[in-house]
Amino acid sequence: MTAHERVAAQSSRLPDHDLAFLARVPVIYHCHHFNLFLDQTVDDALGGGAGTRLRIEAAREAAYDLLANLSSAAGAVTPAERLELARAVFAAMGHGRLELSADRDGGRARGEYLHYGFAWHEKYGRAVRRRRPADSFAAGFAAAATEVAFDIPRESMDCTETACVAMRSPSCELELAPGARAPERVPVDRTASEAAVRRSFGGIGEERITTIVRALRDFTADVRGDERGLIQAFGVFMTLNVAGYYNRISYDTLMRITEVAPQSVQVLEALLRESGHVCVFNTFGGILLSPEWEGLVGPVSGGVEEIVAGCCAIGRALGFGHWTITEVEPEDRLVLRTPSTYESTYWRTRYDRAEVGRCYFLQGAALAMMQLAHRVPWSDSPKLNQEFYNDLFRKGVPWKVQETRCISRGDEMCEAVVTAC
Amino acid sequence: MSREDISQAFEDVSVIRGLFITSMPDCLLFDSWMRAGSEWNAEGVASYFGDLARANKEGLKALGSWSAEMQVTIQSADLLIVLREVETDFVIAFVFDRETPLDVVRLQIKRVLEHVGSFLPTVQAKEQPEGVRLVEFLQRYSPDPHAALLRVALQTGIDLEILQRPESLTPEQVEAVKESARDILGLQNLEWV
Repeated sequence: MTAHERVAAQSSRLPDHDLAFLARVPVIYHCHHFNLFLDQTVDDALGGGAGTRLRIEAAREAAYDLLANLSSAAGAVTPAERLELARAVFAAMGHGRLELSADRDGGRARGEYLHYGFAWHEKYGRAVRRRRPADSFAAGFAAAATEVAFDIPRESMDCTETACVAMRSPSCELELAPGARAPERVPVDRTASEAAVRRSFGGIGEERITTIVRALRDFTADVRGDERGLIQAFGVFMTLNVAGYYNRISYDTLMRITEVAPQSVQVLEALLRESGHVCVFNTFGGILLSPEWEGLVGPVSGGVEEIVAGCCAIGRALGFGHWTITEVEPEDRLVLRTPSTYESTYWRTRYDRAEVGRCYFLQGAALAMMQLAHRVPWSDSPKLNQEFYNDLFRKGVPWKVQETRCISRGDEMCEAVVTAC
Repeated sequence: MSREDISQAFEDVSVIRGLFITSMPDCLLFDSWMRAGSEWNAEGVASYFGDLARANKEGLKALGSWSAEMQVTIQSADLLIVLREVETDFVIAFVFDRETPLDVVRLQIKRVLEHVGSFLPTVQAKEQPEGVRLVEFLQRYSPDPHAALLRVALQTGIDLEILQRPESLTPEQVEAVKESARDILGLQNLEWV
């Protein structure tokens, strides 16, 4: 069985809620724009050292559950089998090539085309010299793979990236060593997700959205890492990633800033929202402009409802939740509702009831949908590159978003309302 | 020769594609002329070439080789660009077709420079506060310019509204912004901004 077939065999969904799982662990597809911006925001908030530490620990925690479950399902018993499984799954998920040479006492890992470092170099490398390694996710994954392979306690292996292509090294080098054991947390798995979601419902254009989702799911079922271990499609690098990684780094950062720098919480929230905005604008926009979309759905004419419905379908297919359209008034207003988001399921499982909406990705996504629906000249087949993005948003955006209801607050749905500024 | 005269003179010289006058040290557009049909962003061109002239000047000073006659010539795929500093207060970017003979380039530059003093102000431009220069520089070169101030606010803890009025930054805040800008831009040194 190939790694892709193994991943496919262990994939499942909550069909009415459009949440995806791999070996019962919540997973989602995200692009390099989101991945890099979110990591950067964590570092901006906590500082490079603490930010890197958090990201490695979050990746280790998320990857442990995934690899332990996959090893069990695959009947991988020996360390060699489990390390090989980890290597293959890492590449199949679009994270690059990771060669592990480790035992119970640690060891080394070597990365090529690691998603974060490689994509950072591609996106920013010509303009900015990076001062610290970028592949915290790979480091945490390598630590978890070693823990699972050698049946050593979870959250106990440490990993440091000592060379990184984002810092212009020829390859990425990582060192593994036993470390202080971090406390275990409440698992956020399929069972927890089932308990957190709310009763499902539909919205405007439901039939059309459902049809597109089915076609997109068939299409994404064939998506896999290439010979580099990367998924390059629609003008972006994609990864299938553990939702818990994104959620933990976002919410742990939010908690920490709330505690030590409460005056910065709103700024942090704006940047978390921006991660979603840059993702949906580039990736969803790229999908809408792709020949694959034209083949599956037809050419995009640029109608507001058409674009928003297309985005909701893409969001569902990628595992973000059951996004529905409640209101759409061109230029003025967009209301999205969903009985499930990958963010609120995590929040409900791990934290007390929130006082405000916590689905920052959904908020940024809703805002980006308005941008895509109104500010992109679809008939000109524009290139949604960095230049276009910077030109469009240098002077701000003409809409604002508010999450007026959220499952994290105990509401029966999450609701993002976009209105004109 | 007035501004209008220069524009008129250029209309007759087909090899000249544009002229941009940048006031220094703030790198703001003072004036520009572009051939009809050009879609260049004059403010952007003026500020980037102003930064380039300033960096060039600092580099030459570091080599002990700077003189007031400094000139930068750039050959791109389809353009030939010459930057000239004028009275330390202005930088003029002359944009020609790539294949323009150098003697023609020299002649046209000489024509302009001989007369440009008649319409450039003689009073030295007032230097902007350091905080303003820093924020403007960051917004020009940050990889995600729309998010640059948010990032600085998060890194430094300085209120976003204060950063949006950088002329009011305290010296301590300026230092914090400078450190943040160094991090965002990946630069070791920003003392010359």
